[in-house]
This record gives sequence, C-alpha cells and structure tokens, in this order.
Amino acid sequence: MSKPASGTGLISELEWQKPSTRWGMRTLHALLLAGLVVIGLGPLLWLAKAAITPTIDTISNPMAFFPHGAAWSNLSQAWNGVHVSRYFWNTIVIAFGSWAVQIVVATTGGFALSVLRPRYAPIVKGLLLATLFIPAIVLLVPLYVEVVRLPIVHKSLIDSYWAVWLPYGASAFNVILVTRFFDNLPREIFEAAEIDGAGPFQLFWRIVLPMSKPILAVVSIFAVLVSWKDFLWPYLVLPNPNVQPLSVRLPSIESQTSLGVFLAAMFIACLVPIAGFLIFQRSFLRGTGLGGAIKG
Amino acid sequence: MTTVDQPREPALPSERGLSRSYPRPRRAPLNWVRGRGLAAFVFLLPLLFVFGAFSWYPIVRTAIMAFQHTNFVQAPTWAGFQNFAAVWHDPQFPIAVRNTIYFAFLALIFGYPIPLIAAVLMSQVRKRRGLYSVLAYLPVVIPPVVGVLLWKTFYDASSQGVFNTILHWVGLGPYPWLQSQQWAMPSLVLYSTWANAGATIIIYLAALIGVNPELYEAASVDGAGLLRKVWHVTLPQIRGVLLVTMILQIIGTAQVFLEPYLFTDGGPVHATLTVMLLIYDYAFGNSLGGDYGMATALSLMLAGFLAVFSLVYWRLTRSWSTA
Amino acid sequence: MKSTRVAMIVAVAVVLGVGASTAAGSTRSATNVTISVASLIPGSTQQAINQFNAQVAQFEKKNPTIKVKPTQYQWTAPTFAAKLAAGTLPTVFEVPFTDARTLGDHGQLANLTPYFEKLPYHKKYNKAVLAEGTDAKGQIIALPKGAYAQALHYNRALFQQAGLNPNKPPTTWAQIRTDARIITQKTGKPGYVEMAKNDNTAGWILTTLVYALGGRMETGTGTHAKATLDNKYTIQALNMLKTMRWTDNSMGSNFDLGWSDINQAFAAGGVGMYISGSDVYTNLVQAYNVDPSIYGVTTIPLANNKTAGVLGGGTLAAVRPNANKAELAAAMKWISFFYEQPLVSKGQAIRNAKTLVANKQPVGVPALPLFNRKQYELANSWIEPYINVPIGHMKPFLNGIFTQNLIPEPEASTQSVYAALNAVVEAVLTNKSTNVQQMLQQANAQAQAAIKQGS
Repeated sequence: MSKPASGTGLISELEWQKPSTRWGMRTLHALLLAGLVVIGLGPLLWLAKAAITPTIDTISNPMAFFPHGAAWSNLSQAWNGVHVSRYFWNTIVIAFGSWAVQIVVATTGGFALSVLRPRYAPIVKGLLLATLFIPAIVLLVPLYVEVVRLPIVHKSLIDSYWAVWLPYGASAFNVILVTRFFDNLPREIFEAAEIDGAGPFQLFWRIVLPMSKPILAVVSIFAVLVSWKDFLWPYLVLPNPNVQPLSVRLPSIESQTSLGVFLAAMFIACLVPIAGFLIFQRSFLRGTGLGGAIKG
Repeated sequence: MTTVDQPREPALPSERGLSRSYPRPRRAPLNWVRGRGLAAFVFLLPLLFVFGAFSWYPIVRTAIMAFQHTNFVQAPTWAGFQNFAAVWHDPQFPIAVRNTIYFAFLALIFGYPIPLIAAVLMSQVRKRRGLYSVLAYLPVVIPPVVGVLLWKTFYDASSQGVFNTILHWVGLGPYPWLQSQQWAMPSLVLYSTWANAGATIIIYLAALIGVNPELYEAASVDGAGLLRKVWHVTLPQIRGVLLVTMILQIIGTAQVFLEPYLFTDGGPVHATLTVMLLIYDYAFGNSLGGDYGMATALSLMLAGFLAVFSLVYWRLTRSWSTA
Repeated sequence: MKSTRVAMIVAVAVVLGVGASTAAGSTRSATNVTISVASLIPGSTQQAINQFNAQVAQFEKKNPTIKVKPTQYQWTAPTFAAKLAAGTLPTVFEVPFTDARTLGDHGQLANLTPYFEKLPYHKKYNKAVLAEGTDAKGQIIALPKGAYAQALHYNRALFQQAGLNPNKPPTTWAQIRTDARIITQKTGKPGYVEMAKNDNTAGWILTTLVYALGGRMETGTGTHAKATLDNKYTIQALNMLKTMRWTDNSMGSNFDLGWSDINQAFAAGGVGMYISGSDVYTNLVQAYNVDPSIYGVTTIPLANNKTAGVLGGGTLAAVRPNANKAELAAAMKWISFFYEQPLVSKGQAIRNAKTLVANKQPVGVPALPLFNRKQYELANSWIEPYINVPIGHMKPFLNGIFTQNLIPEPEASTQSVYAALNAVVEAVLTNKSTNVQQMLQQANAQAQAAIKQGS
C-alpha cells in the first residue's frame, strides 16, 4: 500500500480525490491559518507598531495605524534613555554564563556517568532522577536563604551573577539528556583511542565532545531560551537595578516610562528570542516535538 | 539504550595498566587513582558541586526549614508543626487553593482540546506545514514578562483599551478584564493559553505524525468517516502523549506564579491569589523580613499534593495507556 | 594539552573575577574612607542624576578623605527585605517612618546616638519627628530627612476645562464628589482617583481618608495595641468611595494604581484629583517632567470634629549596622551635609538650591518641618529667591496645613494594617455589591493578629 504524501493518512488518498473533502479541509486549513496569524502573530505585530507610535496615539486610539506619523524616537529613547541597552547586555551576560555552567556540568557529568562509569554512578543517576520529580517550588525558599548567606563562608551572592549561573547548572534534564546521548556513542571509538594511549581527559576533549555537537546544540538553545525568559529567580537575587536582565527590569520601569517608550523596550526584548527561533526553527521544533512539525 | 559489553580479561600488555569502563572489582587507593577512579571523580566534581550545593542541599533544607522558625537575625529554632498549622489556619490558604484549582481547571478546558484540534488539522496540511508550526510556536518564545505586560496593556479596562476597542467594533463591551473579581482569573487563563498552546500543538503534531497510516486505511475500509477515524484510531494511538501532557499541564498550572503576580498581584480582592503567590508573599512580601517557615511548609504541602496526585494519576491511567 | 589546560584555568579565573559581586558596601584604604549612599529612584532623568552628582562633588571637596558612591535606591518591600538580609544595602539608605523603629529594635540599623549628639543642631529637632527614629531603648537609629503630610493634588487644566475655578479647589468632601463628577462629565477623564494597589498604598490612602473624617485604625501601642479598622468612619469613607465609583462613575476604570502609577497618570493629564504625600511634586518633575502649569495642591478637607486630622509620614536616613567607626563617622557627615544642612545652615541651603536650579530640579516643594517652626520658616526664607516650583499653585496647601491636626501613621505593625485594608478597598471599587461590614471585620481580625505577633 502506498503511503500518502502528507504523512498521517487520517484522510486517505481516495478521500482526497473527493472535491467535498478537499474543499472542506482547505477551508478549515485557511481558517486555521487565519486564526494562527491573528492570534499568534497579531499581538506581536501590534507591539511592533506601537513601539514606534507616539504614546498619545497608542492610548487614545490603539488600533489606528499611525494617525499622526511614527515616533522612531521611542526606540532610541528606550535604548539609551531608559538604558535598555544595559539590561540587554545584562541579559546576554546572564544567558552566556548560564549556558557555560550548564554545558560544563552536563558534559563532564555525562561523560563520567556514561563513559567512565565509576561504581557509584547509579547512586548519582538516581539522585538526578529524583530531582526531576521534585517541583521547582520546593527549592525556591531554601535556595534563596542559602544565596543570601552561603553556609560555610557566610558571604552573600546577592547581586552577583553567580547566584543565577550556578543554580541554572543544576538541571537534571540536561545531564540525563547528555548521558543518554553519550550512552549511544559507539564504544569501539573509545577503545581505539585508549589503545592509542589516550587518557580520560583527551578522550573527553578530542573524541566525545566533537561527536556531541547535535545534543550540545539542543541543550544550548534551550539553556539560552530558558535564561532569557526567566523572571522570578533573577528578580529575587538581583535587587540592584544595574545588573538586572530585561525580564526583571521591565516590570519595574513600567510606571516611570511613558507607554510608547515602554512598548519599544518590550519590543527590543523580544527581538533576540524571535530571531533565534526563526533561525534555529528546526532545532526548536525538533527538540520539542520532532520533525513532523516541519515536514510537508 | 546502553550498549553492554561483557567484561573480559585484559589481553594486551598496554591494557593491563588501564581499567575498562565497565564494572570492576574493588581496588586499593593507588590502583584506584591509576585505574581512573580519580578521573571519574574529577569529571563528576562540577556536577556534584552544583547539584549538591544548589539542588540536593536546598531540597533537604526545605524539609528542615518547614519545621523551624528562621530569620536572619537569630539562629533558627524548632517549631514542630506550627508552620503547617499557621498555614492551614490562614484565611488566605483556602482561597489560594481554590483559585489554583480554578486556574488549572480553566486552563485544562481551554488549553487542552484546542491544541489537539489544531494539531489534527495541521497534520493534514500538505504544503508549508512549517509555516503553521512557526506561527503557533511564536508566542511560546516570547519572554513571559513581555507577554504578560503586553496583554496587560490589551486588558486596559477603559473604553480605549485594545481589547475593548476591538470588541466595540462588534458592539460588545467595554469589559473590566483584570479589574473585576469575576473576570480576572479567566483573563489570566486566556493569556496563559495563548502563551503556551503552541508548545502543546507541536508535541501533539509529532505524536500524530507517528500514527501508523495502515490503521487509518483499515478504518476507511470499514467505512469510517473523518470524525470516527479520529475517535477510534487517532486518540487511542496518541493516548500516551495525551495523558502525559495532561498531567504535565496540571503540575505546571499548579505552580502558576508569574501571571497572577504581574497581572494583578493576587487581586482584585485575592481573586487571583494562587498557592505559589501565597508562598512568595509569606517569604518575600514583608518589608521587615519574611516567614520562611510558613513558606517552606506550604511548598512541602504543594509538592506532597502533586506527588500523591501524580501517583494516583499514573496508577489510574496505566491501564489506559498500555494494552 | 598542557597549554590548553593552563588556558582553561586562566579563563576560569578571569570569569570568576568578572562575575564577582559588585561591592555595594564600603572599603577602607590608609586614610580614605569610601561609603555608598542612596541616591535617586532608578529611572530618574539625567538632570536629576547630574544634580545629585554635583552635590556629591561639593561634599567630597569639603571632605577630601571621604569618597562617596551614589547608589540608585528605591524602597519597596521585597527588595528592601532582600538587601537587608543579604547585607547589600548602601552604607547610607532610607527607610520610611513605618519601619524604622522595628528595624532598630531588631538591631538592623546602626546606633547613631554618639554622633548625633555632636551635631550642632541636634536640640532643634521636632520631638515627634525625632521619635520616629528612636528605638525602644532611646537610641537614635535613624535621622529624619523629610516629613510630609497627605495632600489633595489636582489638575488645574482639567479644572479649567470643566468650568471649575482652579484657584478655588474643593474644601469639603461633598465638594470633592461634585467636582469629580463634573470633571468626568465635561472632560472624560476620571475626576477623582485613589490608589488601590495591593502594595499597601490602598490601605495607606484609605487610612488617610479615615483620619480626615475623624477615625483611627488603632488604639494603644506595641503588641498590645487594639485594631479598630472597622470603626464607623471607615465605613463612611468606603461609602463615599462607593458612591463616587458606582453612582457617579467618576473614578475611572482602572483600579490597580499605586504611588508611581498614579503620579504617571497625573503627569500625563489623566487624573482630576488624587491624594498622596505633599512632596510628590519632586517625583512628578524628576520622573515625568510634569508641566508646572497643570499642578495644584490643597489640603485634604477635614470633617468638623475634634479627632479629624491629616495623616503625616516621612522618611529617615539610616546607616548599615556593620559599618565600622570610620564609615559611621563619614556616613553621619554625609547625612548631615545632604539631608540636614540645607535646613539649618544658610550657606548650605543656598548652595543646595543653586545646584538644584542649575539642573532644573524643583526647589521649594512643600515639606513639613523637621525642626521647630521657626527654623522651618527661616530655611524657607533662605531659598525663597531660588524657588522654581509654581508656589502660587501650592498656596492652598501651604496656607492650610499648619491649621490641621497632624497625626502619625498607625504605630503598631503599620504595613500589616495597610495590607489588611488593601482587599477592602479593592472590593469596594471592583464589586458593586461588596459587603463592607463583613470585609472590614475580616480585615480587623487580620490586622489584630499581625499586631499581636509584632509583625
């Protein structure tokens, strides 16, 4: 039996021949597409428009299309006057640091658990799995208390980026993902390298890591995205406005910023995630739910 | 899938000094170092440090702090079950529980079927399915803070608010949205559905693609129409995914914080006060220092409830998803 | 191999250095002392920042061994608690009257008494105001830097547009109601707006209304105080709000405005009248560049009985408890220079005024006396030539305020009392059929529990 071109066969080839089915589905698809454009894209288009519309126009006539011309100054005012540039930079620094910590922890840990396999590896794996089942709220308060006053050294990590980078690294999901990937790497290559005299570090650096690019790409994309979107934790541990990322700063400046400039700031905050998504579409959609989402 | 090799005697001279990466017998310390036990430990150090300090230790501390009075001025004192009792008797506690259930319920009603229908339709798209996926997923990549603040603008209750303006075109409104105790929670759910449905659509789509087409062909031969095929073939086949996404959604919505915090700060009149927001208020709401004992007690209660709920759910649905 | 390893170690060290926490505290070298001080609210205009920096420069010139680091600062409940716990507050920071004494009793503010007694003007302080910075043991743990009374701010332009006389603002609550209705009808903007945000500003303004009618939220002091939130004046105040909201529809449609939001809305011309501290004009200028011609302020109408009065509050300057002796001395010098001197030293007052004017910052915003009345009027006379605020528009307030009975905020568990009232205000404004009596009783129970606990 030939497989239908589109993939699921819910509607068989025979049924596609029938004009009523074809036009019925086409109408539904058109409606769906229109719905997705209005609902998925609409709010963002409005944001883009409002970002360059004078505040007065946005307030009195929000759905009008530039009744009195555009106000490009909103963007520059947001970038400079409201220092969105600084918060943008902070967001990048935080994302980069979080990414680095997560990659280091996941690759070294995964390598040890999967390739080196010490005797206590199952215990560590068990502990990791256990953390997966514990909701994040359980951690929040004691983690905060700990960051405010570290147990042995009695120093505070408040207002330091380490307070954000390090807890991000404790992502059991990443470690398990990377461990399973390493588990699937062919053992023969490792054995060949060891015969050639490679020590564990060289095995890691020269063999395993270069082979791990796909999984590292997935981990990286989600590490950056999660970091860009996070609010509560950075909000709690970074009370100094100068080091806050965009997500944390935006709500606080809402009442001191005129609406047009504020919307411009929000628009700027969206640019990196949207651009990243459009460029790395395949990895995103593959990572969350597989290629079926893009085929066709 | 792990490949398991049989342990074998070190045959070549160069192999004898090195250990294999397989389970091996106990060794004396020098052999342990030479045998790469040290290397494994060194490689595990980042993980052990980060998890130990920022995951395992805090988890243990939650259990301890729930039974203590903590402030930053004096040493913690033991409080038995006082924190739990204080939470239980707090008039805001039942309100928070009720609101959280309400939010989860509404989110399930709106956020569960709609992505499924959309995914089923999308699975039948023959050209440019990617475009649909991108549009659906776009709201998911927007930072939640931006999404909430944007929708807060939309929800302006005056007649010049964005939604009120649009509804005015069809003769409806103006509505109070976040300013009304009845409308506030549904407004939050509406936003939450918009922001999260895309991810669910993609997951469903993947599952739908994986359904064996021969099952559909068999059903067609039996004379089943589109709807019957969906009901009798599609849904049972993706049952596993459906059940997992449902429990994940319930667990996620039980911890909802950002929407009630940024949209309404739990108001008006506690109409959007959720358990997570109550935990936050206990810990961080008082300018003179929070009650960390009550906050951790409530966290434990919520985690415990979710654990029990998940267990019951898994038991009940185990028979449905396999077979 | 080896070089890679070395390179990695170096990289790690660099990153560690880069990520290290920004020192929000003080350091000490051989003879110099560095202190960090609270400066402006984040988001202030560049001119406001320039003015502050100019004053820092003046101070450093006078005190060459002291280096001052301005730190942006805004007191909000959660961030203050976080910084307090973490010890990352600036050396000199500000706390509202409501929190200072509790913080002092808990040992979270430095003891300033020995330095205080060396100040030449320390005997001139207004006793009630000084008491706000004195802990239970009688030690001075914070110095008052500004006191305010609640005032009724109104938009002169909207008054004019509605056909009302901007020079004759309302003097009774009935007039407020009428004027609000007229403004809404004639201009489409809300005539009277009240803070109703969950961040305790709702309770703060409601308490102001209740004081103005003659009621009090507490009797007694400390943990033995009795909560009286559900007194008849509170019910009266809430019914007033209910009428304006539901019958007249003169309060607008958004009811989650806090202190900053309402200032923002006012500066944008969207509010007819509102109640807030008498010193908000500074914020209106510094954050929103308000048009001076629209600003008017008058006293809050008081009911005709003995207990009616206007709620007063203020801010104090305090020092971190872990400041060492050198830092403490430097901090006191700064506090004296920046906060107190402009009120007691002619030279400093004039210098201060000149700097403010040069940076287009407001001089002459109505404030309440920290010292005795005589000193207050003397200080005002020094800066009179430099006043650049629309002082004429402020006459109704200035003329009336000293005839009003100034009442401090509820003494026990102030923030918790306000917190208990938040829900009642929200309920009245968002639900037409709110059972006011029942909600007040619940609020009273909540406040009483907090008072008993000392939180």
